[in-house]
This record gives sequence, structure tokens and C-alpha cells, in this order.
Amino acid sequence: MRYVHVGTGHLDFSEFYRESKDACLFAVLVNVGDRDVAQDLVDEAFARAWASWRSVSRHPAPAAWVVRAALNASISRWRKRRREVPLPEPGKVAGLAAGQEAAGSPLDPQIMAALTRLLARQRQVVTMRLLLDLDTSRTAEVLGISPSAVKTHLARAIATLRSGLIPERQQEKSS
Amino acid sequence: MNDDEVITAVREPRDKVHSHTSVDEIISRGHTVRARRRIPGAVTALAVVAAAGTALALGLAGVLGAAPARSTGTIRTMAFTLVKHANGTATLTINRNVLFEPGTLQRDLAGDGIRAMVTVGRFCSSDPAPAGWTKVMSFPGSPADPGPVRSVVINPATMPAGTELSFGNFRTANTSQTSVALINTRSYTCTSTAPTAPPPDGVMIG
Repeated sequence: MRYVHVGTGHLDFSEFYRESKDACLFAVLVNVGDRDVAQDLVDEAFARAWASWRSVSRHPAPAAWVVRAALNASISRWRKRRREVPLPEPGKVAGLAAGQEAAGSPLDPQIMAALTRLLARQRQVVTMRLLLDLDTSRTAEVLGISPSAVKTHLARAIATLRSGLIPERQQEKSS
Repeated sequence: MNDDEVITAVREPRDKVHSHTSVDEIISRGHTVRARRRIPGAVTALAVVAAAGTALALGLAGVLGAAPARSTGTIRTMAFTLVKHANGTATLTINRNVLFEPGTLQRDLAGDGIRAMVTVGRFCSSDPAPAGWTKVMSFPGSPADPGPVRSVVINPATMPAGTELSFGNFRTANTSQTSVALINTRSYTCTSTAPTAPPPDGVMIG
């Protein structure tokens, strides 16, 4: 299992970056769908983390701080551009996040499509619990919700993911 | 498919995703972040100096009777680029792959002195059209066979009184087209049917 720093001790930024950069990139990629956009968001978030390392290093889960900073920046960019809607290009798969192409992406389009069906809070919980490997209490702390709410969101998210994945996986097996 | 299998399926692609940005690049970018945080204070100070300078310049211009200088500039959005030239004309280029917000384009055109009505899913035209549209808009190609083109140059100084430009944007399957015509502000009709050819007294951008 991938290790991501969640401790509160004095953490060296370089060490933190080396150990968490791939997990953070993956978590953001799952949420925004586009590799280049995700890379830029994560790099900027890590840069901001470095600029405020004294406080970020004391965060209960610095990797979660980076991911949330990246996703908040993504929302800000979207708000700035929401009045201008990019038209879908031929070859894009319906239901995928903007910019997520079926081919040439490290992510399975079926999984991406299933993830995009989740409610925002469910996707946040999946990001923290499954992609960053935070435990329930840490996830609750980071998202500002109760541990029971984390469990509920995660259970519903897994049920939604299962319903999205089963038919397509069964089709794959039968073909 | 049990819970563990779902979780495994979601986590599976993690090992395929790697960030290739070095820590040195991040730290370098972090320095930029820190510098950006210091900018607001510097900007405030500069703004005070600039305002004082502008007031002084305006005062001198009033005394000396200097003609106001035409401002130039570029407005670049995802959907369009509007470049204002020193001679008062403006070049409008529309990205056909991005839907634009009509109010934004209309406001930016007005900022360059171009009276316009911008609509989406609707195109308005006058019959007969006001004379002189070829002086208002210029573009590559012949006015007799004008389009579709990528950009037009608009000269607001040649727009007759009581006229404005009508921009009608229509989205098709994978792209969009914008018809442009000079219209009488008090006499025009609109259609929600997308033109299939450039208007007889105008141009199509797309």
C-alpha cells in the first residue's frame, strides 16, 4: 500500500513531496480528468504548500491539504470560465470529465465514468479514504464532517461505483 | 463484485500515475507564490503613484489642449480575442470551439466603441440592410463571397448613425458559427434558424 504522510511531526518538505506527489497527482487526476490540468494544479498546490510549509507541515494530513488546495484552485478556474463552455470534440467519451479522453490516459475510462457519477461529497470521501489512504477519523477531520458521515458517504459511493462497474465488467467478460 | 474488488478497481491505476516534476521546480514555483503574496502591497503603492501621475497628465493635457490618445489593447478569452488598434479599428477573432457568453462580447465591443447586439441561438438582420457595411467590416476574401472567415476587422468610425452590428451565434454538433451583419437599430427581424451561408450584407465567422 502506498504510504502518504499523515503525521504531525516536523516533516521535511522534500521528503514529503517525494513520498506524496504521485498519490496527490492521482487523487486530483481522478477528480479533474485531465492529466495536464491535474499536473499543473498539483504542482501549484505543492508550491503553495512549500511557501507555507511552516503551517502546512502541522496540518493533520498535508497530502490532503495539497489535494484540497488543488481542487479548490480547479473550482476557481472553472468559475472564471463557466460562461464559456468548451464544445465536446469527436472521440470524447460521454460521461467523462472534461478533457478525459478514452485513449492515451492512464485511467480506466469505465472507472472514471463511474467516479464522475458520484456526488461531490462522496468523491471527496473516496479521494481521502481510498486514494490518499486516510483513515476515517482523519478524513472526517479534514473534511469537517463526522466519522459516521464519512462511513455513510463511503458506503454509498462504493455502492454507486459497483453499480457503474458491474454491467461494463460483465460485458467485457461476455464478449 | 464485493467492496474490496470495487476498492481495488478504483485504486488499481495509481501505480500508472507518476509526477515527473522535480522538487527543485516546485520550490522555484514556491518562490513565485511567495513573491505573488508580496505584490498586493506593492501594487497599492504603485496605484497611488500611477493615479497621481494620471491626474497630473490630465491636468497638463487640459492646459495644453492635447488630443486624447487612443488606447490600444487586447482582450483575450477562451472564446474570442479582441484587439484594438491605434487607428480605432478592432480585430475580432472567434474561437469556434468555445461557446461565448454574449454579454461579455457585447460589453467588450462596446468598450472599443463598437455598438453591437450579440445573441446566441438567434440572428437579427435588417431588410434592407443599411448601406456601407463593407466599410464597417473588412476581412480576408471578397465581400461578394465573404466567408466563413476566422476574424473580421471592425471600424466603428464608419458605422452610420442609427446602426449597430448584429452578432448571431449558433452552436452546431461540434463547432459554432457566428453571423455578423450591420442592422438598423429600430428596424430588424430575428430568426432562430441557423444561417447556412453568410448573410448577403455581412459575414460569417466560423
